[in-house]
Amino acid sequence: MTEHPRAPTRPSAGGDRATHTLGLLYPPSGRKGDYTTMQLAFIGGVAEAAASHGYDMLLSPAETADDDSFRRMVGPRPEHVEGPGGAGAPRVDSATRSGDAPWFDGVPRSGDAPRADGAPRSGDAPRADGAPRGGDAPRVDGVIVMEIRREDSRVELLAAAGFPFVAIGRNHRCDGAGWVDLDFAGLASGCVRHLTDLGHRRIAFVNRSEQLFNVGYGFARLGHEGYTTAMTDAGHEPRAYLCGDDLASGEEVVTRILADDPATTSLVTMNEAALEGVYRGLTRHGRSVPRDFSVVGVAASPWAEQVSPPLTAAEIPAKEMSRVAVELMVERLRSPGSTPRHVLLKPLITLRGSTGRCHPVPGSEPEPEFPDFDLDF
Amino acid sequence: MWSPDAATATISLQGVVTGWSEGARRLLGYVAAEVVGRAAADLLVDREATGFSPVGSEEWSGTAVLRHRDGRRVELTLHAHPSLDGGGATQAFVVTATTGTAASDRDRRMVEWAFAQSSIALSTYSAASGSWRLNAGAETDPLGEARSDEGFLRCVRRVAEEAMPMRYEGFAPAPPAAATRHRSWIVELWPVKDPVSGEVAGVGTAAFDSSEQYAARQRLALLNEAGSRIGTTLDVARTAQELADLAVPRLADFISVDLLDSVVRGEEPVPGTVDVAVMLRRVAHQSAAEGGGVPEAAVALGGIDTYPSFSPPARSLTSGRPVLSGVDDPDFARWVGEHEARAAVVREHGFHSVMATPLRARGITLGVAVFVRGKGSPPFQQDDLILAEELAGRAAVGVDNARRYTRERTNALTLQRSLLPRDTPKQAAVEVAYRYLPAGTGAGVGGDWFDVVPLSGTRVALVVGDVVGHGIHASATMGRLRTAVRTLADVDLPPDELLTHLDDLVTHLTSDDDSTVRDLPYTGGIGATCLYAVYDPVSRICTLASAGHVPPVLLLPDGTVSVVRLTPGPLLGVGGLPFEATELELPEGSLLAFYTDGLIARDRDMGLGLERLCEAMSSPVPSLEITCDAVLRAMLPESPADDVALLLARTRALHADQVAAWALPSDPAIVADARAQATRQLAAWGLQEAAFVTELVVSELVTNAIRYGDVPIGLRLIRDRTLICEVSDASSTAPHLRRARTYDEGGRGLHMVAQLTQGWGTRQTPTGKTIWAEQPLPVG
Repeated sequence: MTEHPRAPTRPSAGGDRATHTLGLLYPPSGRKGDYTTMQLAFIGGVAEAAASHGYDMLLSPAETADDDSFRRMVGPRPEHVEGPGGAGAPRVDSATRSGDAPWFDGVPRSGDAPRADGAPRSGDAPRADGAPRGGDAPRVDGVIVMEIRREDSRVELLAAAGFPFVAIGRNHRCDGAGWVDLDFAGLASGCVRHLTDLGHRRIAFVNRSEQLFNVGYGFARLGHEGYTTAMTDAGHEPRAYLCGDDLASGEEVVTRILADDPATTSLVTMNEAALEGVYRGLTRHGRSVPRDFSVVGVAASPWAEQVSPPLTAAEIPAKEMSRVAVELMVERLRSPGSTPRHVLLKPLITLRGSTGRCHPVPGSEPEPEFPDFDLDF
Repeated sequence: MWSPDAATATISLQGVVTGWSEGARRLLGYVAAEVVGRAAADLLVDREATGFSPVGSEEWSGTAVLRHRDGRRVELTLHAHPSLDGGGATQAFVVTATTGTAASDRDRRMVEWAFAQSSIALSTYSAASGSWRLNAGAETDPLGEARSDEGFLRCVRRVAEEAMPMRYEGFAPAPPAAATRHRSWIVELWPVKDPVSGEVAGVGTAAFDSSEQYAARQRLALLNEAGSRIGTTLDVARTAQELADLAVPRLADFISVDLLDSVVRGEEPVPGTVDVAVMLRRVAHQSAAEGGGVPEAAVALGGIDTYPSFSPPARSLTSGRPVLSGVDDPDFARWVGEHEARAAVVREHGFHSVMATPLRARGITLGVAVFVRGKGSPPFQQDDLILAEELAGRAAVGVDNARRYTRERTNALTLQRSLLPRDTPKQAAVEVAYRYLPAGTGAGVGGDWFDVVPLSGTRVALVVGDVVGHGIHASATMGRLRTAVRTLADVDLPPDELLTHLDDLVTHLTSDDDSTVRDLPYTGGIGATCLYAVYDPVSRICTLASAGHVPPVLLLPDGTVSVVRLTPGPLLGVGGLPFEATELELPEGSLLAFYTDGLIARDRDMGLGLERLCEAMSSPVPSLEITCDAVLRAMLPESPADDVALLLARTRALHADQVAAWALPSDPAIVADARAQATRQLAAWGLQEAAFVTELVVSELVTNAIRYGDVPIGLRLIRDRTLICEVSDASSTAPHLRRARTYDEGGRGLHMVAQLTQGWGTRQTPTGKTIWAEQPLPVG
């Protein structure tokens, strides 16, 4: 998985039809429908890594399988589809994929997908806007999929069609393909461990928005699970909160947390967009970070470093995840028969300035369990 | 008894004039008719002054002052003879008056003879004619030439005008044959007045030859000057040169001063006289020759020479006594003849007389001075030899003092230099510049010191201290304290704790000293101050603690200057009192000035000194070296009374791209994640080559922390001049480097770390301990 020569061996699946292009499915998640800094870091990372393997990158903002740009990317449906179970099948005969008919008709779709209007399209269906190229071949050799939901029509379709893909993030359907993901459960539990190591016991959890949680973004649920398990294991009462991806929600969630338990001394957050609001709320309630309140989170470094004090947080290693995803993709294209690899990254919590030893809210704790290390000895 | 000049009168027993001669009329102006019948006493200026009374029959003679008819006084010699009747009774007195006698004429002529024949040179000057009259003594005396000297003539005129006696001193070069180099006279001058009118008629002079006294006085003056001009400094060569400058040209035309080569090299000379074949080094010479330079010297300054055993200098060296020699001494001729350059010099300058005197002080012979006279100067006399011996003696004491002082000072400075850092160690936390200035010549070396000690984790300790007092003892104590501070710093003690240990050490040193070195010239305890600061470029926090030391001055990047406020703390060795640490968070590029009190001692008032230091620091100078010089220039007088140490440190900061720190749960499963994270970080820093060793080190240290330490556990990587890997935990139990036996499970890890890295160590922190390991950065 190191350097590849500039001119790689041709992806076997493409034969002489190989495009030497990788597709990236990545819907923008910014509030105004734009890409966030974090997302741009991933896009750049994928493009860079792809180029180093001799591939170009084609970006589609497709959120579902119905998106036109996604359809143009993967091209017409192959004649003989092996069905959903075929996604994990190692061999896809190149001949079966050279047919002219659109190949995504009849693909089972998840009823949970938001725009599951999934009406089968007419057979000759490339869209009016996309002038049919000769043979309507796929424009890419493989696809990297991001922002994966628990039920995701894009993954369903790709898996069903046996189209080579790699996921950044995952759901149950991704296991047949390669994926790279962060261990969100592990990160959340690591955050809890860090706080308990510092003597904290009353630790709240600030998750993403209710909508995202319900839609099934994996990390929101995994984070929640990790937090709850770690708290239970440590013998503390878990108190998890959902919080909108904005400043006001962050401020508001702090009010809720302190109303529920005024003796709370720390929180774990997975909501970087609300972080500034959380800080503001703590200040408004007279809690100084990190002297009498500790905050630890999972966040990309720009977010973590821009607040004051800088957030102690597990990094989201965008560059490394992009690189690994491209490597998995290239492996898949080179040797279609190999068992797909799954890479679960678990970055450490980077110490910045937002956590400190627990100073319990006066009257909330019976006795300190060990001598205070701040005393001179 | 009668004479044409004589005047006669008769006076009755009642004192009435009864007869008046023609002589009396000529003398006093009265005719007989005007006088006869009046009281004789009326003619006297003072009626009672004569002591004569016209009673009895005794003859009387005496002097009296009478008044002339025109009113002027006439002094006369009077003789009164009684005129007897038949019965022998006195009936009247005959008084004769005379104005001069034959005896007084003889006397006057004798005075003239005495003037002419006086053994003293006498002369008179007539104001009216402007001519001189000399006696025989004055005729033959060379003062005759001086009589045309303008200074002398001015003096004569003043005597005539002011009617006051004066003294004139004149001197001139002696004729070649004379015993002294100069002739000199003392001339007494006095006004000659008309006794009657009181007018100054002329000037009388008497001249005495004072050449001997003059020469003696000159010698005395030279000796007196020697006291103040020789030995003004504690410099060997300069002292020798001072002797040479003083002796020429007043005593000699040329002088050379040679010291034993061993003395110049700083070796201890052997007491007593020296061996003949001793090597001599020329340290000074001087010449009376015009146009500068020393053309007479046969040996250049700094040159080496030996004197043959028979030569006057060698004889004086071996005998320890001064030697007078010259052309009439065969040894002199032989000595000069054997040395070609010397022979030429002697011929050219006509050297004919030499004195060689040993330079001896406190029973030790240090060298020899040779005084020489050439053509135009008389030979040296015995008196000159005594003078030369005296001068050489004074110079020798000065040279010996300088020699001893130089040796002591060189030793002390060497000691001090060896105790101060020559080159500050390489470290990246601060940029430093420093100066150490020993005190001026008066006080000797002091006990100021400073140090820069790199600590683990890119931190650095900055130390400055001062041992009270001067000299070797202060330097030695300073050395001990500095070594102690280095050792304690190496253990990585926090500043306040380090000072506590140092305080204990000083207390012990003091009690040791009391029993062993009582005779050393210092009293009481050691009396030392110290300021210890640790700067961490990662947190940018500087922790300082002071033991009675002057506080540092801080220049912030925005240009504000202030004296750092910290608890002054007790002096070292006082014992029992606590030291307090002060923490400062410094912006990157802050400039800290550490110094000793000598820097601000010029102002008696310390507050004023600090103010001036702040002012000197505030002018922006880019280079620390230049700032150092500028501060010293602004703060110190030409020759500071106390020694001064100045240490400037400009802080650097390590940024996020050079430091990465992570929290680790106490879970063996995290070791792999930690390894992976470290590798990712190295990749981001472009240090992939260090990954293998780093992974091993991280594995080992993290495993140890999880197994033996307490939470929280932290991992830190620092990329600086080296790559540093640190693992900290909350347990203060430090690991030991154990020797692992063949089948031991544990105890291998640290050995492996020690072998793979450039260094490792452990330090206590306020919250536990940190174990660190350093490896060099990959090349390129």
